[in-house]
Amino acid sequence: MTLAWRRTLSAYAMMFPALVLTAVFVVYPIGEAFVVSFLHWDMLTAANRAFVGLANYVRILRDPLFYKALVNTVCYVLLFVPCVLGLGLAAAVALNARIPGRKVMRALLLLPYVTSLAATGVLWQWIFNGQFGLLNALLAEFGLPPQNWLFNPHLTLLNLLIYGVWQNLGYVAVILLAGLQNIDRAFYEAAAVDGAGAWHKFRHITLPLLSPVLWFTWVLVTIEAFKVFLQVYVLYSGTEGPNFSGITLLYYMYEQGFSNYRMGEACAAAFILFFIIFLVTLVQLVWQRRVHVEL
Amino acid sequence: MSFDADPVPRGALAATSKGRSTARRAGQASSLRAHRAVPASVRQVPAALLAVLLVLYVAVPFVWMVVTSLKPAGEVLSPRPQWIPHPVAWINYVVAWRSAPFGRYFLNSFFISACETVFDLTLGAMAAYALARMEFYGKRLVFLVLLATWMVPGEVMLIPNYLTISRLHWVNTYAGLMVPWLVSVFTILLMTQYFRALPRELFEAAETDGCSPVRTLFQVVLPASKPVWVTAGLIKFIGTWNAFLWVVVVANQSSLFTLPVGLFNFSGDAGTQYHLLMAAATFSMAPLLVLFVFGQRYIVEGIARTGLK
Repeated sequence: MTLAWRRTLSAYAMMFPALVLTAVFVVYPIGEAFVVSFLHWDMLTAANRAFVGLANYVRILRDPLFYKALVNTVCYVLLFVPCVLGLGLAAAVALNARIPGRKVMRALLLLPYVTSLAATGVLWQWIFNGQFGLLNALLAEFGLPPQNWLFNPHLTLLNLLIYGVWQNLGYVAVILLAGLQNIDRAFYEAAAVDGAGAWHKFRHITLPLLSPVLWFTWVLVTIEAFKVFLQVYVLYSGTEGPNFSGITLLYYMYEQGFSNYRMGEACAAAFILFFIIFLVTLVQLVWQRRVHVEL
Repeated sequence: MSFDADPVPRGALAATSKGRSTARRAGQASSLRAHRAVPASVRQVPAALLAVLLVLYVAVPFVWMVVTSLKPAGEVLSPRPQWIPHPVAWINYVVAWRSAPFGRYFLNSFFISACETVFDLTLGAMAAYALARMEFYGKRLVFLVLLATWMVPGEVMLIPNYLTISRLHWVNTYAGLMVPWLVSVFTILLMTQYFRALPRELFEAAETDGCSPVRTLFQVVLPASKPVWVTAGLIKFIGTWNAFLWVVVVANQSSLFTLPVGLFNFSGDAGTQYHLLMAAATFSMAPLLVLFVFGQRYIVEGIARTGLK
């Protein structure tokens, strides 16, 4: 055996457990999900499997509940992404200034990252409580009428935004803060010598130099936003919210699979979601090139 | 979103030359202004205010959680929020702890998180060592597959993985809860990147001594790369501790519940007894808070390198 082959053998020996586990629980399931999306299957018996072609996809695309999930998810993405990026950027810029206690503030912002959704979901149920919740007390301070947050279908999206942004703000801020700290301070010093104001520095130094990190975070956050589901599940105690107002694409998939035992439709829904995310990421990639040329 | 492309430094580099010219332009556009006379501490007031506001948004719910958890039952449902519990009802923690098998949930969470973290670090580091330091046929392909799988949303695999687990008769077992997550691509990629940056001499010395790759990894590389082990370990541990959906799907009996799922279940039983719910929520996040306080530096480092689970 030649040396190159012996090296190859020992390298694969090192990677063997990791590769096997990845193959069985990551690569293979992607393939299986694809196959199952063309089957009619209730999962109870293997015999009840039948190839139905695109029927699962067709049935989903004709399902009004799917459109409700699609609209809810898209609305959430369109509102959540700018909010969390904007506030995350604001937090990062603020914490990048040399203000006292910024390490502590960064840690506090990151608290939701280390707490489980189950715990924060219960916490926010309490805050959104229609009678004694903290949020209604806050409204009362401003002379506004109390809201029945969790039972009003028109408020579901807003609830999810408040909760989702709260949960991800610190995470986004930490990524952007790392990007900001990568920017050479000499630029700011030079600009300060020339008398540039805070806005000018932000607009002409921070934004262009941060744009690669900002773009990357944008992509990351968008993908996460499309996968919104557990937030609804925990906030509404395992339901889709009043009048299905909180159903999302992933929730739809979960329902099909684990409530209706329609594995084919569930996998088809997963692939539709994957396809949407893929397309959006592609658009963002094209956009990145344009942004880079323009700046 | 590819890890290997290392978007942060390379992107920053690409933007540097443009940034310099824009900076100069910005400088020329505005002449010396009076605000330079304003002391630095005053100029930072808006930034500080903004930071404080955002921190309040994030932190007040946690404060409210702890405050509620310490209130006597009769005072919880008051129309105006009371911020000081009076008297302080520590008993809530005892009552909440006893209302559900939280001891068991804690043990499950510790056991599962610890096992997964140990396996993830060991197996991930072995794979990373090969990818970073060994020459072999098919290296590009392995890399490509790993990167590609990292990009597919994990939820696509939820149902097929459940099917695999049920074929193996692992539903309602620790194996079913743990085995699919023993290796994370994120750890492999993070460690590969770190190992590549280590000095070449380190490996050459070990190789000339005739060390096997496994021995080199654990006796030479490990001591020289502690930070990345801590970072990857903390992120894996936190992710596993907080994992929710997979446990809901695989565990149907409470003896297998982890803390988040146990807590979620308890919230259905407790109804509107928010003092108990908040006490349970508080003690369920306590271990991670302790971990966070001590390992914050490493966690931040991991996230800054785009550690998305």
